Amino acid sequence: MTTAVLLLLLAFGAYLVAVLENWATSGRFQLATPAFSALALLGRESVLPRKPDRIFFEVAPTLLLISAVLAAAVIPLTPNLIITDLATGALFINAALVYVLVALIMAGWGPNGAYAMIGGWRFLGQLIAYAMLIVMPITAVVMRAESLLTTQIVVSQAGLWNIVYQPVGFVLFFIAAMALAFLPPFDLTTAKGELAGGVEAEYSGVRLAVFRLGRLVLIITLAAATVVFYLGGWQGPWLPPWAWSAIKILAVTAIMLLAGRYMPRIREANLLSWCWMFGIPLALLNIFLVGVLVLVFS
Amino acid sequence: MSTLAQYGLLLGLTVGTIGLVLSLYALARAIGKARTESGKDVPATAGQLSRDPVWVRYHARYYGYALLFLAFDMEMAYMYPWAVVYKQVGLVALLDMGVFLAILFLGLLYGWSQGALRRQ
Repeated sequence: MTTAVLLLLLAFGAYLVAVLENWATSGRFQLATPAFSALALLGRESVLPRKPDRIFFEVAPTLLLISAVLAAAVIPLTPNLIITDLATGALFINAALVYVLVALIMAGWGPNGAYAMIGGWRFLGQLIAYAMLIVMPITAVVMRAESLLTTQIVVSQAGLWNIVYQPVGFVLFFIAAMALAFLPPFDLTTAKGELAGGVEAEYSGVRLAVFRLGRLVLIITLAAATVVFYLGGWQGPWLPPWAWSAIKILAVTAIMLLAGRYMPRIREANLLSWCWMFGIPLALLNIFLVGVLVLVFS
Repeated sequence: MSTLAQYGLLLGLTVGTIGLVLSLYALARAIGKARTESGKDVPATAGQLSRDPVWVRYHARYYGYALLFLAFDMEMAYMYPWAVVYKQVGLVALLDMGVFLAILFLGLLYGWSQGALRRQ
């Protein structure tokens, strides 16, 4: 029952992300547009490119969707509204989201097209830049919560949200989450206007619809993970827990989508060097600071 | 819920997602099939097949980072169990991991000084 409710909410959330993304890119707030786009994609031809690697080409969109759905399964909206409260929840989110990389490289390799291939390999470089900045801030969160249970992580923030307790970790995680969801300015792998869509270039019709759905679910999952790890999850005054979760998740999504709109796309060389020269030393410093704070205030 | 049941549920989610995608494909197939026309299946490379094959080896210009990444990724595997028991163990845990991280960080600085942190 809970599972069904949460899957419906996830689908609804993905729809709202589509509305917000449309709003952020075109400046028009239209509630019905994503539905029409989805119907149009269903009706269009789904062309198979010449001499593809058929297995990779077919598996990639599904794998993207599966990895996002599995990561969403361990994220709580209220103390009880969670699909499965896995004992290794915080680690499982990482494990599930690594398959985004696999899916994108499959989508790059599969269609046997130059632009797609470059987009796929680019994401491998992008992973080397952002991956540590996902993992290290989560470690600091876990140190405070003394547990990998996502519900326990939210409970540990009852007195003070992690965004105040470890602001450096929040900033790093937020940027890395945007890079993981290949949102602008980190959309090196799709890069409209530069790679003609990159990994999306050869997908059309219903396959493209599944690919885009996977990405929308990925965005809302990452926003929800940010809320759980740093913004106190369901906690907040006056309103019921589910309302706080919804408000926070949508706000984080909107900021993620809007932030990239005013920035130029980052070059991969810069992304790599900035992440390793500034990001990782800062993430290590964050772990050390949280370590000291946890010991002092225990 | 037991651990096995939890992983069973996750497996069920995976199977269910595959089912959803397959039913979407079936729906699209019911609406209409893609017509085979010449030139339609050419990948997006300016309307003609690319001169060179695509599935070749590319220069991984980030290999310096990639080697460092392997070291750090292994380190993170140790840090999750450490992070869970950190508060119980206390200061000893901070010092232990501090030494470990300091060595890794020196490695990062050494790599930096040798020019590993740039696109080759």
